[in-house]
Formats: sequence, structure tokens, C-alpha cells
Amino acid sequence: MKNIIIGQYIPGTGFLYKLDPRTKIIAVLILMVAVFLLKSITQLMIAFGIAIIILIIGKISIVRVARGLKPIFILLVFTFVFQIFFNKEGTVWVDETLTFSLVSLIVLVAWTIVWRLLTKLKKFKMMLFFLYIAGVYLILRYLTYGTIFSTFNFVVHEKGVEMSIFVVIRLLIIITLSTVLTLTTKPTDLTQGIEKLMRPLKYIGISSDDFALIISISLRYIPTILDEANKIMLAQASRGADIAEGKLKDKIKQIISLLVPMFIIAFKRSEDLADAMESRNFVPGRERTRIYDLHFGLLDLMVALMTIGLLTGSIMARVLWIG
Amino acid sequence: MAYLDIEHLHFQYSSKRMVLKDINLSINKGEWIAILGHNGSGKSTLAKLIVGLLSPKEGSIIIEGQKLSDETVYDIRKKIGIVFQNPDNQFVGVTVRDDIAFGMENLQIPATEMLEKIDFYAQKVGMEQFLDKEPSQLSGGQKQRIAIAGILAMQTDIIIFDEATSMLDPGSRAELMEYIKELHREGLTIIMITHDIEEALFADRMIILKSGEIYQDCEISVALRHPEWFEEAYLELPTAMRIYYDLRQDGETYQELEEYLWEFSLKK
Repeated sequence: MKNIIIGQYIPGTGFLYKLDPRTKIIAVLILMVAVFLLKSITQLMIAFGIAIIILIIGKISIVRVARGLKPIFILLVFTFVFQIFFNKEGTVWVDETLTFSLVSLIVLVAWTIVWRLLTKLKKFKMMLFFLYIAGVYLILRYLTYGTIFSTFNFVVHEKGVEMSIFVVIRLLIIITLSTVLTLTTKPTDLTQGIEKLMRPLKYIGISSDDFALIISISLRYIPTILDEANKIMLAQASRGADIAEGKLKDKIKQIISLLVPMFIIAFKRSEDLADAMESRNFVPGRERTRIYDLHFGLLDLMVALMTIGLLTGSIMARVLWIG
Repeated sequence: MAYLDIEHLHFQYSSKRMVLKDINLSINKGEWIAILGHNGSGKSTLAKLIVGLLSPKEGSIIIEGQKLSDETVYDIRKKIGIVFQNPDNQFVGVTVRDDIAFGMENLQIPATEMLEKIDFYAQKVGMEQFLDKEPSQLSGGQKQRIAIAGILAMQTDIIIFDEATSMLDPGSRAELMEYIKELHREGLTIIMITHDIEEALFADRMIILKSGEIYQDCEISVALRHPEWFEEAYLELPTAMRIYYDLRQDGETYQELEEYLWEFSLKK
């Protein structure tokens, strides 16, 4: 727990690192809008290609970005399956009868156990998952022996496949874009970019300075608080309480007994921190200077123009219905 | 007139017993003062009162002729820095550089000047290699040194150490003491709040607090002749000092002491 690095920032030298964080934040937002304007798979594929080109020019490892996609893998699979099952437009592509019979159910249970055991291997988890799904399909499709309990029509429509691919690619592009932002921007720069962009909000009474300070203090204290949680868990485990064990009811109780001390410690910490900040001349709402100055350079201008170009392109594609 | 004058200071937290009773104290510029006291003697409260984090019930604190009040507190804070006990709870920045900058940012110092000062003072506390590190990658002693750098960068006249070494391991503690000695040599006024007699011995003067009152205020050399004062104030004597005083009790002169030790070793 000692070396948690907040954010996914990885030091590098590509052009994306030299950009003003404000440029990056706005460019990512605009490009997201542009992606949402696209209407066909061909257009999306072109957009995906452009995203890959940005990664290559920016010297960002594609493997690294792919690893960033891992946490949302389940979401992608879910979206895909949802679209395939529930979109009933266009011509029918697949129409198979799946059977739940005595034999198929027994084999299914055995197959599931084999899959669970294999996932202990850690590697190839994703491949195993697809193998498992394919196995389930084959078992239900062909093992129709023994007493038949029920049958189920598995129908896939043309539009269903199209939409599912469409939605998944769109998600992929959007996540790639945001990953690029967090990979190439230090959390401090990101906060400062947000702060500067929120400046105009002071006219409606929201202080972007305070907001940025809140974000940066939260970022700074995440590892400390996690460390604290770890200590409390160890202290409790040493007295026989184990969060990983027991029934759901016990687990909930355990979590409460973890949260209460954590809240108390966090409040104590915040009191100390407020004292420390005040004694170092901090006055809420008063103007402060900053060590980092952001500046909008030639590179930023070029990227801004290209972003606007891409947005125009996608608007044109939508209006003129090309591809 | 002394640099810092505390006159008839009383303090109590709401509806509780008086924490500090009639504190009178004056500290000269460049002095190194140790404020010793047992747990709950009010020593940390005194530190918070001096920097204006708490306001006194009665009495006054005067720094360079300026009385501490709601109007003057921001001016006075520019003259006093404080290093607190818990290294984690006073680290404001996301990185070392940000943290050293925090106080200067509040004082509205221009960016270029800040960057120069950060480099200078980071080097001074031996942390110039760590400017881009995050607090979770640093040890407690390193965090305390950064807290010192942050205060030095604000160019205060006084640094208060409020049990700043009590959460550190012996190695970092000794290292931090070296830095404090160095700062004192350079002319900074140092107020060290501690319950560790051994640490207090580095100071010029010792103030012993007992249940919210000043029990003794004297030179270190004078205090050393009165070990009973420490026991009266519920403070624990360091082992070396305890042995010394115990031996002194049994033999008044060195000769007697020597004989006693011989006897002792022969009996064994």
C-alpha cells in the first residue's frame, strides 16, 4: 500500500505531454461529442483509426491503453450482449433452438466448474471467458439428450449485431480518449487545468480556486486513508475479525466496524490539516499565486485547430450522411 | 522589550477546566526555548495560541510590539511558522514541490521567485532529489524536513516545533535535531514543545509547564541541578540522567562514588 500512485500518469516525451492541460481537456470533450455525432460503423471505424494514429504519434503504448480498458471489460460485454439479444430489427441471421436437458445441464455445471478452476491461472482470463461462453453455446445447442426441461430460441438479427458492434466501438474510442488524457497529464496539471477552465464560474459564486484545492487535497489523501484502512483491518484481523470471511451479514457488520474508526480518524486528520494550512497563511477565498503557470503555445493552437477540424468532419458526415 | 511577550494568558476550551492559567513569558530574538510538559499540561495549546489558531480567554500575546488579535493575526502568522506532530496531517501538496510552495502561494509570491526558493530551501533540508515525489513515497522524517523547508521559504522569524519529533524513529529524530541546531545557529528563534527532557537539553532555556501553569522558567544548566523539578512535573528522566542522579545520592564526592562502585561490583 506504500507506493500507490494516484491517476494513471506515466512520464513520457510525446507531443501530448507538451500540451497545456486545458487544451487536452477541451479537445477530449469536443472529440467525445464528435464521436457521438457519428452514425455508421464505417464512420466509427475511421474515428477509431484516428484515435490509434493519435496514440502512435503521441508515442503512447497501445498495450498500456488496452490495459486501461480492462476494468470496463464487463461493461463492454454487457452492452454487446444486451444489443444482440434485444434488438429485433433487420433480417434474421441466426435462429437456433437451445435446449435445457438433463444431460446438457449436468455438462454445463461441470463446464462451469472447469472454467472457474482454470481462471485461477490468472493468465488468459479473457480468452478463457470467451471459450466458456462458446462452450455454453455448444452444450445447449447440441447436447439435447435426456429429459428436456425447456427450450429457448436464440435469435440474432442483422441490426442487433450492427448496433452491438457500433456501441462497443463508440465506447472503446471514448475510453481511449479519456485514458490518453489521464496517461499524459499529471494530476496536479489536470486540477489546475480544471481550475482555470472553471474560472468563469466565479461570477455565479463558485470559487474555482477552492474547488481545485479540494480536488488536490482529496488526491493527496487517498493513499494515506487507504493506508489507514489497511492498518485498521490488520488490527481487527489480529483480534479475530476477518473481512474476507463469513456470511454477507457478518461482512456488512465488519465494514461498519471499519468505517466508524476511519471516519473518526479522517475528521481528526482534517482538523490537524486545517490548523496546518491556516498556520501557513492560508485564508479561504483570498487570492493565491501558483507555482505552475499554464501557457497556450503554438502546439496547443495546432491541436485546437485539428480538433475543430475533426468536429466539423463529423458534423459534415452526419449532415451529408456519407458512408 | 522582548521579541515575543505573553502576559497573563488564560485559556479554556468551552465549559471545561482552565487549560492555561496566568502564563507570563518573554522570548528574545534568536533564543532557543524548550517548553516541557506532561500530557495535558497545555503545551500544545500554548503553541496554537501563539500562532492565533486559538484565541485567549484573557491576557495578551505581543509579537514585535504588535498585539495578536483578529485584525493582526494574518500579519503575525507571517513571522511564525509551526511544525506539527503528525507528519502526514500537515502535508498539503500533492508533491514535495507543491507542499513547499503552499505557504508562499498564500503569501502571493510570484511563480519565478517561488521556484528559486523551493530549490534553495529543498537543498537546505537535503530534499532536492525528492521534489517530484508524493507524500506516500516519503518517510516521516523526510516529511518533517519538507514542513521545515516550507516554513523557511516563508522567511519567518520564529519556528515552533510542536512535538515534531515524537512520531519519528530515533535516526530521523537525531537528523531533525541537527537541522534545528543549524537553524538556531543561523539566528532563527526556536520554540520547541516536547515532553522529552533529552531533547530539551539542546535549548538555551527551559520552561516547565505543570497542569497549565508555568512551574519553572530557567537556564538549562540551572534545571539540571534540580532533578526533582522534573519528577514534580510528571516528566520522566532519561536513563542516563537517572543513573547519574541515583549515583550522586549514594556518594557525594567522586571518591566516595568510586568506592561505592567497587563495593557494588565485588558484592556481585
